[in-house]
Amino acid sequence: MIERLQHMAKKVGRPLYGNRRLISYYWERTRRNKLAVFGIAFILFLILLGVVGPFCTMDPTMVDFEKKNLPPVGFTAVKSLYHIETDELTTTEIHGTWKHPLGTDSKGRDMLAMIVSGARVSLLVGLIATGIAILIGTVIGVLSAYLGGWADNVLMRFTDIMMTFPFFLLLVLIVFIFGPSLAFIVLVIGLTGWTGTARLIRSESLSLRTREFVIAARALGASDGRVIFRHLIPNVISLIIVIATLSIPGVILAEAALSFIGLGDPTVPSWGIILEAGQHSLDTAWWVAVEPGIMLFLTVLAFNFLGDGLRDAFDPKSNV
Amino acid sequence: MNDVILKATNLKTYFFTRRGVVKAVDGVDFELRRGECLCLVGESGCGKTVTALSILGLVDSPPGRIVDGKVMYNNLDLVKCSPKQLRQIRGKEIAMVFQEAQSALNPVLTVGDQVMEQIRVHLPIERREARNKALSLLEEMGVPSAERVMNSYPHQLSGGMKQRALIAMSLTCDPQILIADEPTTAVDVTIKAQILDIFRELKAKSQMSLIFITHDLAVVAEIGDRAVVIYGGKNVESAPVSEIIANPKHPYTAGLIECLPDISQTTDRLTSIPGNTPNPIALPQGCSFHPRCPKAMEICSQRQPPQITISQEHEVSCHLYQ
Repeated sequence: MIERLQHMAKKVGRPLYGNRRLISYYWERTRRNKLAVFGIAFILFLILLGVVGPFCTMDPTMVDFEKKNLPPVGFTAVKSLYHIETDELTTTEIHGTWKHPLGTDSKGRDMLAMIVSGARVSLLVGLIATGIAILIGTVIGVLSAYLGGWADNVLMRFTDIMMTFPFFLLLVLIVFIFGPSLAFIVLVIGLTGWTGTARLIRSESLSLRTREFVIAARALGASDGRVIFRHLIPNVISLIIVIATLSIPGVILAEAALSFIGLGDPTVPSWGIILEAGQHSLDTAWWVAVEPGIMLFLTVLAFNFLGDGLRDAFDPKSNV
Repeated sequence: MNDVILKATNLKTYFFTRRGVVKAVDGVDFELRRGECLCLVGESGCGKTVTALSILGLVDSPPGRIVDGKVMYNNLDLVKCSPKQLRQIRGKEIAMVFQEAQSALNPVLTVGDQVMEQIRVHLPIERREARNKALSLLEEMGVPSAERVMNSYPHQLSGGMKQRALIAMSLTCDPQILIADEPTTAVDVTIKAQILDIFRELKAKSQMSLIFITHDLAVVAEIGDRAVVIYGGKNVESAPVSEIIANPKHPYTAGLIECLPDISQTTDRLTSIPGNTPNPIALPQGCSFHPRCPKAMEICSQRQPPQITISQEHEVSCHLYQ
């Protein structure tokens, strides 16, 4: 089995990374799009943050009630204390310190550390769930187009059924039954999010299948597997890249939204979880909710810009 | 006859579409002998390419289906072969060269990759060995600086180069039969001559049999041994090339020959056969050529003409010779 898989893997075309000229051409075209460059820069920054960040910041789970609700550097917050003996309300001003550049939350945890570890979580969620979705979508789309006939019908009607399924309700249901586990959430997002991909890949492969080079390959004795791996998939790879880039932010947002309504995994500090915790203290410590919110906003924007840029770069008809 | 390597009898391939049954191939007969070049001649849409695809079992099904007929290859009926058997035969024993080299090559793989892949589909050899074989094949095809061509993508090469690469791919396993589907249509005249040379050399060097599909009688005269003229999915005339050019019996064949422009004469208008190829969904009653035929008779619109033997090698389907 493993041997067969290795054999298959060898057959898979390598259209892009083996071709420096094409890469530099696409890079040239992407680079002209300023927003896409911002996207790339921000995503690289995020990856760096997720990979090395956690080693440079303090422990995001360290609770210190002495230092709770510290504002970020440069901001001041008013802390009011109620003295029960005198029945008086005293207010003191507290300033942000460089020890906690982004402030602390209501349990005194360092916001910077939490944002950094949240970046790691969000990226993992986005990449893994998208990876699963793209894989399933590509397999189903290509098979559907290539096999045609009743197989196409079965696969596409299955896709239609999956599409009509309210995926957010399914998520809620699963979290309700199995408890809020991040792995489950990622799995469910991946297993339900492939439908659009399958349809796009199918329509692209349908037109490829009738192209002469596919018929020519078959006329010279290529097997079905070879046609799919050497001729169909390499020709839809640019489409796959664009779909993947554009679907990552959706996945990240889905996880955040789930956390926000209280169905996230409370043991993992994702941006959604921090946001949810922060919404209760918006009047006393606005930064707890605003900081992960800004990060989410920028991340989603960055992936969308990059996806748009790549789509234009891969499209030979657009003149970027 | 012993030296017949491929024999198609009454081959019928229909496409069942929503608008009706398209009778793309409706009773084609031919024999291919070892080492000869057989030309299938006809206008666009007369069923030449579908005939070739039917031989290899590559008709898209649905909507297409071979509804009748036999294609005997070495005592094996290709129509009844399993897909697996056919795949063994395709490329290894019967190979095909397609019309447009640009679209017959995968745009995202280098030419070398594609030639090598072709070799490795059929032969159990290593990458490096396959590369050497691909290089020598390309050089045999008269490709200058084969190394550079190997590393190029199809769009970086000229039409002639691509056509040569395609031919090289089809020859990797020294097939018994090579089907060439209008290999000279998409290239210019000088390249055309070179490519015809390649085929001629191939024929001289090996005992390969060629099925050459073309609409160009000049090409037929240059390379063919025998020719089968197809109209409306049926053969109308088959004869040795010299015979068919000098002495065409069927009015359609005669018309095709008249259409060839003569370079030694100046004329304002080129001759053409009036009308179009018949609609394959609704072929005319009787002889399908009769609406365009200058010699049409009463009977032509009523009954299909039988196959008439003019001489041992010359057969024609026309009421004129009854």
